[in-house]
Amino acid sequence: MIEIERLTKRYGDTTVVDDVSFGVEEGTITVVVGTSGAGKSTLLRMINRLVEPTSGRVLIDGQDTRSIPEDDLRHRIGYVIQGYGLFPHRTVAQNIATVPRLLGWDRKRIADRIEELLDLYQLDPAEFATKFPHELSGGQQQRVGVARALAARPELLLMDEPFGALDPVIRAKAQDDLLAIQRRLRATIVLVTHDMEEAFHLGDRIAVMDQARLIQYGPPAELLTRPAEAFVERLVGTADRPFRLLSLAKVEDALEPGLAEGEPVAASGTLYEALSRLMWCGRQDLPVADGTGSVIGRVSITGILAYGRSA
Amino acid sequence: MASPHWTLSPDRLGSMVAVLIGIALYAAPFVTYRANRIAAGAARSIFEALPPTTAFVLVGAALSVAIVAIFVRRSIVRLAAASLGLVVIAPCVGLSAGFVTPAGNTFARVSPALGFWLLGLAFSLLVADALTRLRLGPWARLGALSIAAAAMALLLFSGAWDGLSILKEYATRADSFWSEARRHVLLAIGSLAAAVAVGLPLGVLCHRAPRLRAAILQVLNVIQTIPSIALFGILMVPLGYLAAFPLAAALGIHGIGAAPAFVALFLYSLLPVVANTVVGLDHVPATVVDAARGMGLSNRQRLFDVELPLALPVILAGIRIVLVQNLGLATVAALIGGGGFGTFVFQGIGQTAIDLVLLGAIPTVALSFAAAVILDAAIELSNGTSQ
Repeated sequence: MIEIERLTKRYGDTTVVDDVSFGVEEGTITVVVGTSGAGKSTLLRMINRLVEPTSGRVLIDGQDTRSIPEDDLRHRIGYVIQGYGLFPHRTVAQNIATVPRLLGWDRKRIADRIEELLDLYQLDPAEFATKFPHELSGGQQQRVGVARALAARPELLLMDEPFGALDPVIRAKAQDDLLAIQRRLRATIVLVTHDMEEAFHLGDRIAVMDQARLIQYGPPAELLTRPAEAFVERLVGTADRPFRLLSLAKVEDALEPGLAEGEPVAASGTLYEALSRLMWCGRQDLPVADGTGSVIGRVSITGILAYGRSA
Repeated sequence: MASPHWTLSPDRLGSMVAVLIGIALYAAPFVTYRANRIAAGAARSIFEALPPTTAFVLVGAALSVAIVAIFVRRSIVRLAAASLGLVVIAPCVGLSAGFVTPAGNTFARVSPALGFWLLGLAFSLLVADALTRLRLGPWARLGALSIAAAAMALLLFSGAWDGLSILKEYATRADSFWSEARRHVLLAIGSLAAAVAVGLPLGVLCHRAPRLRAAILQVLNVIQTIPSIALFGILMVPLGYLAAFPLAAALGIHGIGAAPAFVALFLYSLLPVVANTVVGLDHVPATVVDAARGMGLSNRQRLFDVELPLALPVILAGIRIVLVQNLGLATVAALIGGGGFGTFVFQGIGQTAIDLVLLGAIPTVALSFAAAVILDAAIELSNGTSQ
């Protein structure tokens, strides 16, 4: 559990982060989103004390970060930035080994961890361990950057625009990879982005910042259904709001009793996907199957539309 | 290979080399003969300076190089031909000394003249051009330098050149030559080492404390603009004052001599070392520094594990500038009794003995050249690992 309490940062007369408080549950992704200059990065950098807060504090599992020596604190928090900052004179393996080496892990343990992480990221250790960063593609560099941040099993992973340097196709894949790995490792992540799509795609909770202030903090659906200010409404966009909502909701949320003809849709899929299937095959309803494949009910166009309106 | 090795359209540099060779063979004296070391010289052409067969071999070899230079494009062939040319003319000029000097005359002097120098220049140009075109890696360049040095050593120690005037100057000063050589290298490299020891930390300080940067670089800039003789003069005052203390005197510090020379060279060395350290550190990518901080590298770890290794090529470039500059400047130290190769240069000027001047000048040039090649290779090697 990460608690951010009344964090404020001022440079002279300008307030960059103004009295921001929120909590991050363990094993979840919190996305901080906002326009550039909103203070997102500064907020993130105050968590690992790259920037010292003017006032307020950050608690990790109840422990005030100010009571931990800076470098020790950063060894416990992974950090990924746009451009990744891989050490160009070190190999992939040496890059990943950075924090474990600082922590004094033994050689064997470091080697095992490097292999484990490269495997996790589908980079063949035999091929990639000895490569230098300039020999990697952008997507590979990004993966190595995240692997390096995860190397010492940090309690928290901070990511500042980690996908900003990738082209759209690779970016989508990188986001899915991050989600998969986060679910697998149960990692706690705070991620900063200016991309609303990315925020909705990745965030368990979204914190919207504007002009140094935290405007709204909550689950993605709440931003759509109850935007706190006109700014949030503008940021999320009103035109495709129902579709966004459907892409956040599961099929089981609009489950109706009864039977239907056709190929079943998965209960764990999104309503957005279900609606898309219904429209494409020209049916009014389709059966819904659970994880084991047995039909548990049906989903209908009218049901989905009703869900979209009611939310 | 797409381009033909033989061509009828002449190569531009090759043509120039051929013209040089032509002038050297037909219009310029090969050696100069003088009755004694400061007498006026008399020119001797190739056929006057060498036995007929040797002269024919030399002319034949030189013409062959000229033909290769004009018509052959392949770098490796040009390199081989030019190297062969150097291998022929170098012993020939030694041989001519014995041929021209009347038997038993120990006062007469023979030194290489325009023709020899032109041939040497022409062949060296061709070698340098071919080596550039071959795009040798750093190790290969170091290898080429070693071969050249070994060939030079062979010529010097085999006695092939013992008849030449410059080596006669050397023979009468063999002891002092090596002690001055040692002094020269110590002055140049010692002051460089001191400058690195002081300049590197100073550069790091400038990088981390931007407020100090302007002040420190300004002072070093001003020092750099003081002419060397003037700086030697300025330093004599405080060092002369220091010499009054027994401890300083015991350390060998005097107003004149090696101490002011060392200090002056040290001061000149500081700017390139400090400035390049600052620039090198500035050019470490900001994301790399940010990532290093974010992962919890301490200031020290960040400096030694990340920043300095990445700045190394630029820092080495500064050291290269300083070393080449110091090897040259150390010559001037002789003016204030600092010793070094300059001793021979200034003695030679005083005696109007040009060979003595060359005895000081040629090793200086050779040292600077070798230092430049070695450090360029080092820079490239350090760059290779930090790309």
